[in-house]
Amino acid sequence: MTKAKKAGGTNRLAMVLLILGLSTIVFPLYMTVVIAFKQPSEMTNSISGILSLPGSWSLDNFREAMRVTDFWHSLGNSLLITLLTVALSLVLHSLMGYALGRNKRESKFYSFVYLFIVSGMFVPFAILMMPLAKQTAEMGLANWMGVILLYVVFYMPMNVLLYSGYLVNIPLALEEAARVDGASTWRTYWKIIFPIMRPMHATVAVLTALSVWNDVMTPLVILAGSGKNTLPLAQLNFQSQFGTNYNLAFASYLLSLIPILIFYVICQKQILNGVVNGAVK
Amino acid sequence: MKNERKRTFLLITLPILALFICFNTVPLIRGVIYSFTNFKGFGSYDWVGFRNYIDLFSDARVGKSYLFTFKLAIVTTIVVNIISLVLALALNSKIRAKSFFRGAYFLPNILGALVVGYIFNYFFTYILPALAAMAGVDSLSTSILSDPDTAWLGIMAVCAWQAVAMNTIIYISGLQTVPEDVYEAGDLDGATGFKKFRHLTFPLIVPFFSINMVLCVKNFLMVFDQIMALTKGGPAQSTESISYLIYNNGMSGGQFGFQSANAVIFFIVIVMVSVAQMKFTGKKEEQL
Amino acid sequence: MKGKGIKYLALALGCVGTASAAAGCGASENDGKTEIEIVQYKPEAANYFEMVEQEFNETHDDIHLTISSPNDAMTILKTRFIREDYPDIIGIGGDINYSYFVDAEILADVSDYEGMQDIKQAYLDIDEALEFVPTQGTYAVPYVANAAGILYNRDMFEEYGWEIPENWEELLALCEEIKSEGILPFYFGFKDTWTCLAPWNAMAIDLAPADTAKLVNRGETTFAAEYREAAEKYLELLPYGPEDPFAYGYNDACTAFARGESAMYTIGSYAAPQILSVNPEMNLDSFVLPACEVKEGNTLNSGIDLQFCVTAACENKEAAYEVLDFLLADENLQKYIDAQTAIPCKEGDFKLSSILDGMSDYIEAGNMTDYQDHYYPSEMAVDAMLQTFLIQKDTDAFLKKFDTDWQRYNRDIIRMVQAYEEEQE
Repeated sequence: MTKAKKAGGTNRLAMVLLILGLSTIVFPLYMTVVIAFKQPSEMTNSISGILSLPGSWSLDNFREAMRVTDFWHSLGNSLLITLLTVALSLVLHSLMGYALGRNKRESKFYSFVYLFIVSGMFVPFAILMMPLAKQTAEMGLANWMGVILLYVVFYMPMNVLLYSGYLVNIPLALEEAARVDGASTWRTYWKIIFPIMRPMHATVAVLTALSVWNDVMTPLVILAGSGKNTLPLAQLNFQSQFGTNYNLAFASYLLSLIPILIFYVICQKQILNGVVNGAVK
Repeated sequence: MKNERKRTFLLITLPILALFICFNTVPLIRGVIYSFTNFKGFGSYDWVGFRNYIDLFSDARVGKSYLFTFKLAIVTTIVVNIISLVLALALNSKIRAKSFFRGAYFLPNILGALVVGYIFNYFFTYILPALAAMAGVDSLSTSILSDPDTAWLGIMAVCAWQAVAMNTIIYISGLQTVPEDVYEAGDLDGATGFKKFRHLTFPLIVPFFSINMVLCVKNFLMVFDQIMALTKGGPAQSTESISYLIYNNGMSGGQFGFQSANAVIFFIVIVMVSVAQMKFTGKKEEQL
Repeated sequence: MKGKGIKYLALALGCVGTASAAAGCGASENDGKTEIEIVQYKPEAANYFEMVEQEFNETHDDIHLTISSPNDAMTILKTRFIREDYPDIIGIGGDINYSYFVDAEILADVSDYEGMQDIKQAYLDIDEALEFVPTQGTYAVPYVANAAGILYNRDMFEEYGWEIPENWEELLALCEEIKSEGILPFYFGFKDTWTCLAPWNAMAIDLAPADTAKLVNRGETTFAAEYREAAEKYLELLPYGPEDPFAYGYNDACTAFARGESAMYTIGSYAAPQILSVNPEMNLDSFVLPACEVKEGNTLNSGIDLQFCVTAACENKEAAYEVLDFLLADENLQKYIDAQTAIPCKEGDFKLSSILDGMSDYIEAGNMTDYQDHYYPSEMAVDAMLQTFLIQKDTDAFLKKFDTDWQRYNRDIIRMVQAYEEEQE
């Protein structure tokens, strides 16, 4: 690789690849947008019919979808649950990932706890559902707080796995230097390790937020009968056994896609701007 | 000093572990208890001993679902990891409109199951056969989702399409830990580039490779959403995944006790698979 | 960076604090009114129930009514049952879940409800039959029914002068005639397995005893004996559908039928709203699927689509009955019928949708038989078995599997039935 190429040019091969791959995303997205603007009477089974542009670009579907889902309320609930879950996950899971990642090689106890928690990832939710519905009700947690707590537990295995995996590439020497200066482990963690894991925080935030944002089952089971709706719960209103209003549903899904996309765009900058490169060297 | 460090770690671990046990282990144990009953999900129930477990091993439907799920999971894992590694390298190299591309490739992950189901059903039912007819490919002239032998390929494609985004993100964040000079040497730059990638970049992102393997096992062995969206187990019950059976017959149907037993066995199998996998990649990590 | 972490923690703790305070406030607003809560399982009728809720509350000072029409209501109901958090009234269908709920003693006996006298006997019999073993009481008030058979394009039939068939021979002849005009007789959406049940039910009730499942449970017959003819006739229908019916789902079939791509569609009245949403101008009518060789042997496939059950946990049954009175008031029931193309379970002079014109003789005569699948446990997946059968076309294998699977999935019920029978002797 010549210096000139590195400084100036783009990677042609990568560009070609990315643009080709983009078609697999543009096409479904095009269909989603077109259907979201159409009326049910414009739906057909012919290819030219489904790919044609809608008769009018009216925003009626979006307005109606917002009314049916009680958009602002549901959005508020979804935002609250998602943001709190992400905040708690970043704090608790990174701590846990740190404690386990740093000790699992030497200590049998930590290695067991690590496997114990990570294996929690593979518990089918269906088996937990009934017992959890009962347990949360007994504990007075059949509300959105219960939902958040459950999420913090559900995503712990994956996030602990991610954090402790990331720590492998962060040399112990960094902490030891701080310790020599007399800082406590707790302080060292917040001053050195937590910031250095920024790309992983962003990754965890994106993955957790995404799973929470789209999840239907947990709020369905836990919030049942409370009258509180999250966006995915409200979106269930578009489908019933004998009929689905795809046009309204697609409009609604497009709307609910926006907040999480913005969140992702913010986070992915953090993944990129990781400080590790400098720090490790 | 040493003690302080130990105490801190313990103080971090114990409360979080308690929370985990409370909302994961305790309900799991309750679920295990139900697996020894004929509980329907409500009302009264009787103890049936090991009947559910004995039934499991004689149930052809359950056996079939294991075969299908593992076939799907293995193939999809390979496909997804190859694609997302290439994508991660491409997205990490010097390209124009980087943010745009990164955003775009993330989209499949956020589209709701209803949308994905509708669009891909449409694609497989109407568009793909039409394209195949134009290209003169006879074997694709009917919907691949309507043939019990090929329906799993459709599900594989959609699973991969959605999962690539997540694995790519993890690979990208892995690439950030690779020192720049090494990473640039591994740039997608022809044959020498690939060699450098294999010997320089890849060894450094092995921890992320193993994370992705575990996540793939989780996502694809526990596949459910894509099945619901595309085939609901059909045609001819050829695409019933284990999770699909557990949910559909246990929650919606009246087989809660039996499917709890299924879930318990499934849990044990999947943990064994991933522990073996982690041991394997763990060894690789140490070799480096 | 330390500050950031602590900020997160403080934020989280703060939120938990406010939340618990909020939860404390919202506990209960009791202003002396009796609270009645209904959870009903038909989200498509949510608008109707919102209207009922509003009008009821405006006209009643002593009772406050809340109706929720959630999607996936069965999951919600089951999770609430496990929490022992029972609504006062549940609106469910007359299917096996009802049988389970009766068996689990979740429902209250409503035989003392006065409105019961106006309910058509045919539907009370259906509910009676759904109980695993006969009980003393009545546990549901049937509200509306639906009917299944064949929907047809009335304009197309008039244009070509086709007649409504009255027996199996005439049906096949009609299909041939339609085909000879270059039109597809049927559309099928067999990719969605549940649609395989629609023609199956409609034929099986003509050709097998209405209580086949119960007879099998008592060990008096087998499915192989009772279902053979229905299975064979089902295969005869297949060539009159699209080339690869397993490629299309319910929605595809509704759209295709609405666009005039086929003359008929073997489905129930419940599909009408979806079909009309694609083509609001369509002139839709229906007739009974005549699977018998003689007209007299045919019966209309009709089952309880929605019925109300008072739960055993309901504290104020009188108030619950008042709500039921309101729901069953003729003008309200008529509104439901209009909105959902339903058939009332109540005696009286109701105006039915023109889509049911072709079935009205059967409805008036009370010649109706419940869906066979209301007796099938859902985990047995008879719908998927039927799809497999239609793909592989192996009648013997299908019937054999039906019998063995039935024994396996109904083990506990069969034991219960046999214990009851022994007790009776």
